[in-house]
Parts: sequence; structure tokens; C-alpha cells
Amino acid sequence: MASVFATAGAAETGRLSSDQLSKAARSDSISIPTPGELFAALGKSGKTNWAAQYRGPIPATYRNRAQIALNLGGLIADGFIAVEAKDGQQVKNIGSDIIKLAKALGVSEKLLARGNSINEFAEHSEWDTVQEELEATENEVKSSMQTHADQDLVILVTLGGWIRGTQVVTAAIMQDYNEDSAKVLRQPALVRFMQSKINEISPELRGEPLVKGVSEQLAEIEKLVSLPSGKAPTVDDVRKVNKSVDKVITEIESKDLPK
Amino acid sequence: MKRCLPFILWFLVLGTNIAVRAETDAEVNARKDALDVAGAFSNDGFKIRDGHWCGVVKPHEHALVAVNLYAGNQYWFSVGATEPVKQIAVSVYDETGKQVTTENYDNGDKAAAGFSPANSGQYFVSVDVVEGGEGSFCLVYSYK
Repeated sequence: MASVFATAGAAETGRLSSDQLSKAARSDSISIPTPGELFAALGKSGKTNWAAQYRGPIPATYRNRAQIALNLGGLIADGFIAVEAKDGQQVKNIGSDIIKLAKALGVSEKLLARGNSINEFAEHSEWDTVQEELEATENEVKSSMQTHADQDLVILVTLGGWIRGTQVVTAAIMQDYNEDSAKVLRQPALVRFMQSKINEISPELRGEPLVKGVSEQLAEIEKLVSLPSGKAPTVDDVRKVNKSVDKVITEIESKDLPK
Repeated sequence: MKRCLPFILWFLVLGTNIAVRAETDAEVNARKDALDVAGAFSNDGFKIRDGHWCGVVKPHEHALVAVNLYAGNQYWFSVGATEPVKQIAVSVYDETGKQVTTENYDNGDKAAAGFSPANSGQYFVSVDVVEGGEGSFCLVYSYK
């Protein structure tokens, strides 16, 4: 790649203080990786049976907005899985479910056009473009949420996607464990950042049983993914993370909200 | 995919974003420049993340943002800046603050740094003015 450019080379010189690091900017749109990035990393260390990670359809009739937001994030992660599997029909099915859930949040108008383009790109097997459209869809949902004063739901969409992505990745690693693939799970700062964003949402939303439960589980997950740099999680570590995220997904999907 | 690239770049510049504050014209221009740089990496299979980080950077100060990266992936962090910035630089630090070795592209008010993390976790991307005055910048990143 360097040959493309006129001036290229390797550089390494300095060090930043902990004070400087603590003042670094952090934002949802750049500091939190997409499910696509996670799946790309997993795909490097072996062949993954993505189709085996599909789940059954989730209800599109949730009434609780926090639950809709969490499930919407999960569905977007499902879309990335279908892209990895290069499965056009599954992409279309998930695209349709995303629109349904987005409608329930009142953010669907622009998304209908986006859903159509996802279908079209999927029909032509343009997987990179489908993935970009999925990412753009997620950002459009979040942008619309901000416009409609649903700012607090944005982090829940992100969190739902991360949890579903982690569920899939841990399940895949457990099926064919190797240290390189397990290394993707080490993300303590990421979980801490999402936890801090949840702590910023309104006390009412934070006090909802589902959000409270997810937040508590996230604190447990943070401990599990806080490994020393360079150390890969063991199979047992991976199993523990998978068990925790399974529990969260079950709560998020459930029609019977915790009380 | 390649025939869609101009559309995608256009969309990324003018389309949705979830930044809370409105971007200035200078930041929009800087973002276009950053996407121009990132677009070159797309030919090598890098996907451009639909997210960005824009702001103002002053000489002798750096703009620093935290990112969370996955071992196994390769990344390019691309930056564009506007006048009076003459030369901009991008560097990457690990979670302890140690600068990591990167492959660099420098071309005046456009620059990029690329690397493949050996460990998953938090990293920091720094944008610095090498020459010129205070100006707007925008950072995007790509991965494969």
C-alpha cells in the first residue's frame, strides 16, 4: 500500500502520559468498533461457519423503547453475520426486521429507502457495499434518535450490537478454539466506555429493570474481558463470556420484561 | 464494489453522521480530504468505517482520540486538514501511551498511519500540526 504514496515510511518515537491519555476524546462513532470489525478479526484466524450463528426471528412487537433499541442493535449485528455468510436471503430477512423495529421507534421513513438498497446490493452479491449500507443504517437510526430527543437510546443500540456480536464470536471460538481468535475478546476499555455511557443516560431509563439488568451484567463481562495485554483468554474464559452474554441476550429478547 | 466507491465516499461526506454538534464547512472539507486518502486504501480491500472525528488542532498541541481495535485486523487512520495547516501528522499509541510503529503517509495537509495491532484493546490516535497554524481536521479510519 505504501507504494501508492509519494512519502511513506515507518515511525515510532514518543510516549504519552497517563494524564494525556485520560483526556483523549471518546465517541460512539469512532471509539466503539462495529460488529463488522469484530467479525473481520475473527475471520483472520480460521474459517468460521457464519450460517451456524444465525438465530431465529425475534418478535417485532416490543413496546418498551429501551428493549427495541437493544434488539435493533442486535439485529444490525445479525445483518453483519449474514454478510459474512454471503447469504442474500438472510440479509433481506434481517433488513426487513430492522425496518419493523425502526418503525416502532418512529425512525423508519429514510430507512425504507436504505432497506431497498440493502436488498438490491445483496441480490447482486455486493457484500462490501451491503456492509457499508448496514453501518450507514445504524448511524441513520442513531441520528434520527438524536433528532427525536431519544439520545439516550443511542448507546443501547450500540450496546445491543456489541452484545450480539460477542455472543456470536464467543460461540464460534468455543467451536474451534485457538489463541489468536480468542484474543479479539480482550476489550476492557471498550466495555468500560459503554458502561460509562449508560451511566450518562437519564435516571428513569437507567432505572428500568431491563437496562439495569444489562448494566449489571456488563460490569461482570468487563471483569471477564479485562485480561493482561498479550494474554489470550482460555477456552474456559471464552465459555464464561459466552454464558454472560447469552444471559443478557435472553433478557433482551424476552417478551416478559424483568420486574 | 469499486464502481460504488464514489457514491459511498459522497454519502459518507454528505450523508448521515451522529455527531451532536454541527460541523463547520472547514471540517466538512477536511473530512472530504480524509476520505480521499482512505479511498486509496479501499483499493487494497480496506473498508472505511462510517464514522469520523473532526475538530480544531493547534500547533504544538495534539488532538487525541481513543479507539478500540482488534488483533488480527489491519488499520489505516486517515486525516485531512484545512488552511492554515500546512503539514499534518498522524501517530498511534498503545494503551500504556507508548507510540507504536506505523506505516506512514504524509502529503502536506493529508496524512495517514497504518498498523496491525498484535493485541486487542484500546489505542490512541494523535493528530499533530507539523507546519502551519491552527486549523480544522477530520479523522476517519479503515480496516480489513
